[in-house]
Amino acid sequence: MKTKMLVCFALLIACGFGLFVFADDHEEEEMNKLVFSKETYKIMKVNNGGKISGVVKFEGEVPEKKKLAINKDPAVCGVVDKFDESLVVGENMALKNTIVYLMDVKQGKDFDKDAKVELDQKECRFNPHVQIIPVGTALTVLNNDKATHNVHIFGTSKNGTSINKQQTRNRKRMKLAAAKGPEGPVEVKCDIHGWMKAWVAYVPHPYFAVTNEKGEFTLEDVPPGDYKLGYWHEVCGNNNKEPVVVTVAAGGEVKQDFTLKIKK
Amino acid sequence: MRTSIFVLSIIIFLLFSVISISYAQDAPEVSEQGKEVYEESCAHCHGVEGRGDGSAAENLLPRPRDFTRGLYKIRSTESGQLPTDKDLFDIITIGMPGSSMPGWETSLSADDRWEVVSYIKTFYEGFKENETPPKQISLDGKIPYSEESVEIGKFFYTQFACFECHGNAGRGDGTSAPTLQDEWGFKSWPANLTENWNFRGGSSTEDIYKRFIGGIAGSAMPMFEDASFGLSVEQAQRYAQLENKVEMTDAEDEEFNQLDENMGNAYDILDMMTEGIANDEQKQKHAEAMKVFQEKSWHIANYVKSLAPEKRPEPAIGKNVLRSQYTVDTLPTIDDAVWDTLEASYFPLVGQIIVEPRQFNPTIDSVNVKSFYNDTEVAFLFIWDDRTNNTEEQETEDFGKTFVDAIAIQFPVKVPQDPTAPKPYFLWGGKKAVYLWQWKASAVNSVTELTAKGITNAEIQEVQGDIQAESKYTDGQYRLWVKRALKTDDKKDLQIEQGVFVPIAFSVWDGANGDIDTKRVISSWYSFVLEPVPSSRRFIYPPLVALLSLGILVGLRGFVQRRNT
Ligand code: HEC
Ligand code: HEC
Repeated sequence: MKTKMLVCFALLIACGFGLFVFADDHEEEEMNKLVFSKETYKIMKVNNGGKISGVVKFEGEVPEKKKLAINKDPAVCGVVDKFDESLVVGENMALKNTIVYLMDVKQGKDFDKDAKVELDQKECRFNPHVQIIPVGTALTVLNNDKATHNVHIFGTSKNGTSINKQQTRNRKRMKLAAAKGPEGPVEVKCDIHGWMKAWVAYVPHPYFAVTNEKGEFTLEDVPPGDYKLGYWHEVCGNNNKEPVVVTVAAGGEVKQDFTLKIKK
Repeated sequence: MRTSIFVLSIIIFLLFSVISISYAQDAPEVSEQGKEVYEESCAHCHGVEGRGDGSAAENLLPRPRDFTRGLYKIRSTESGQLPTDKDLFDIITIGMPGSSMPGWETSLSADDRWEVVSYIKTFYEGFKENETPPKQISLDGKIPYSEESVEIGKFFYTQFACFECHGNAGRGDGTSAPTLQDEWGFKSWPANLTENWNFRGGSSTEDIYKRFIGGIAGSAMPMFEDASFGLSVEQAQRYAQLENKVEMTDAEDEEFNQLDENMGNAYDILDMMTEGIANDEQKQKHAEAMKVFQEKSWHIANYVKSLAPEKRPEPAIGKNVLRSQYTVDTLPTIDDAVWDTLEASYFPLVGQIIVEPRQFNPTIDSVNVKSFYNDTEVAFLFIWDDRTNNTEEQETEDFGKTFVDAIAIQFPVKVPQDPTAPKPYFLWGGKKAVYLWQWKASAVNSVTELTAKGITNAEIQEVQGDIQAESKYTDGQYRLWVKRALKTDDKKDLQIEQGVFVPIAFSVWDGANGDIDTKRVISSWYSFVLEPVPSSRRFIYPPLVALLSLGILVGLRGFVQRRNT
């Protein structure tokens, strides 16, 4: 009786184990996506949190700035020169538009509810080029052009982020449905003006930053603890496989710089 | 002790059962039958894992669908939603015209098709996570087809900016057309709305309506939320009228601002609906604006429907054979209105896939031809749609490598007197030579005479005869006018006689689609004939018929008048 039960038991465990092995996926690493914790993020008050900051730099030969060919609506779109923004390197090799974030934070502060989540279309250019959007928040798309655009987001239907909506020149603002879950970064395009490109990431917690012209980022009010610090860049890829581990002390500040190369 | 182990095992057993069951529910229900059908009939295009990367995929454009992203073009459901099972079943049954996706109505049983539907759904987990059924597009408020509706639809076609991609005349030649791609980064062309038999999802007014209300997922084609939300048809027309005015009076200015404000408010409410924060009054307003939006959309659908003939034209064989019409006058030039009196003969084209390099993804549907002749000459008007006007070979980052657009019209050198006698090989001849007129967009007003004995064996005739040519490119359409003497002195030329059926065939190159040399679209042999000079009887009958009907009318009128008094 007892042995039977044990065999049964062992079998069941084996089955269970077999089932869980399936769940393993490497998709994010391959596809240049961010890593999101499977656990639900808990919001709490953060007192005396720490700060993580740093500078992201580019290493390698900086390609010449590529001027975009404006083959459509020149009166509206061709007034100022536009350049490819997939790799923007500033003074001292500062790398703009890199997302730096905590991969495994489980609890912490809430999003800044007053922050505007807007994507601007002006002179046929998306601004900003890389943007983070809290899950559950509707993105407002502005049209400051006397031209018709279409906002095409390459997300998924299950997340409500597969979107391609026309925004005619008479519609100054347009809200897009909020994401149901974390995803991205995904591409944003205006097909009517094929050069208009941007990226959005739908994120589950506020510990995400996008580097500025000087390559700087700051994550504030981080609850003390050890974290995996990740980055993502459009052409330099990510560090999903080997994130940097940082230790944040109460009220302390951690400096962490990154140097990125073009992904082969 | 024993009991506690027993209880523990039971608990663990239950726990695992629950886990297994919940896993089983999440797990795609793999239909064995569906899998079998899929792997036998679909996998060589769509890939064993549904990634659209089967062995045949590489040569195809559009590519076979990658099922792992859950993006479906032809849906009865709203934008951003998955298709219904019925949508998938229908598309598998009918296929997707204008692409390489075949219909399976005759080669798979209905049961097999349903099973394969559930199998392809397992490639995208979004299907199982969706507990709520996808939202259907409402087809309420359909406006019947009428000239008036078409006219209003034309206005909104411009307002909604469909022309940016589909062009002013709807031939898919909009200024955005050359740069469009699908979400997988492959070139994609906007549909030619005047050839609706090539629509992927059907050509009925309802089909058209669903496509632009719901968008075509994965493609550049967006969904629409009006261009003047909250304004009625008349108000929208007035708004556009005022907007285009160079100078407005104070009253007009005020009127314009009022309309603009109304529109802005309606859009604000629409945004609140998107966010789910509208109150009842706003919901009411939104519902009203939606009604008007639907009305405008039905007008557009009617307009798009009006752009194409009711049916795909019949190919130019049998009773549709190309008949050159006799005229005593000098032959009409390219812009002469008399061409409009003739019905064009329709010559369908297919990709050339016999000789390398091949064209598996043709972009040109057909050539349409009209012809007149007189006692000494014959004139042809060749008409074909091409989304771009490529006049020189180019390589740009945006468009890749493009070549020169061209057409070649092919005749045998010796016309077989008996229509059943063998003709030269249809691909530019073989042992029997063919005679060709070749025209290129790089030299718009000239045609070159060639002789060929095979598709790669053509030479320019040393003596070029006296052939006049003129061509025009407007709104995504080429018109080429060619005039030649019926008879020439050159033995290598075609000699045309009245009443004899002359074989004719075509090759067309779309430079933007990579067409060059053997990569092109072609037709097989058709024929044309100089319609015999009409006998004088023809001119007697019509006046007679007219006189007779007039008599009947007069009689009828008298009859009605008498009855009324
Ligand atoms: C010769 C290649 C080929 C074969 C064989 C083929 N398909 Fe396709 N299929 C395509 C192509 C190409 C498309 C994309 C057409 C487009 O995007 O316009 C497509 C699209 C589809 C779509 C997407 C419809 C939509 O609304 O977007 C479905 C579903 C589909 N195929 C199912 C099947 C099934 C099921 C089979 C087998 C019974 C099959 N296909 C066999 C080439 C093929
Ligand atoms: C941004 C470019 C763009 C705009 C704007 C646009 N379309 Fe399209 N349209 C496309 C493309 C690309 C396709 C081909 C999609 C495919 O099958 O890949 C298409 C296809 C279609 C089709 C064929 C559907 C089928 O079943 O194959 C119809 C009908 C259509 N569009 C109507 C419209 C109407 C009406 C409007 C304006 C309200 C419009 N389109 C605006 C790009 C556009």
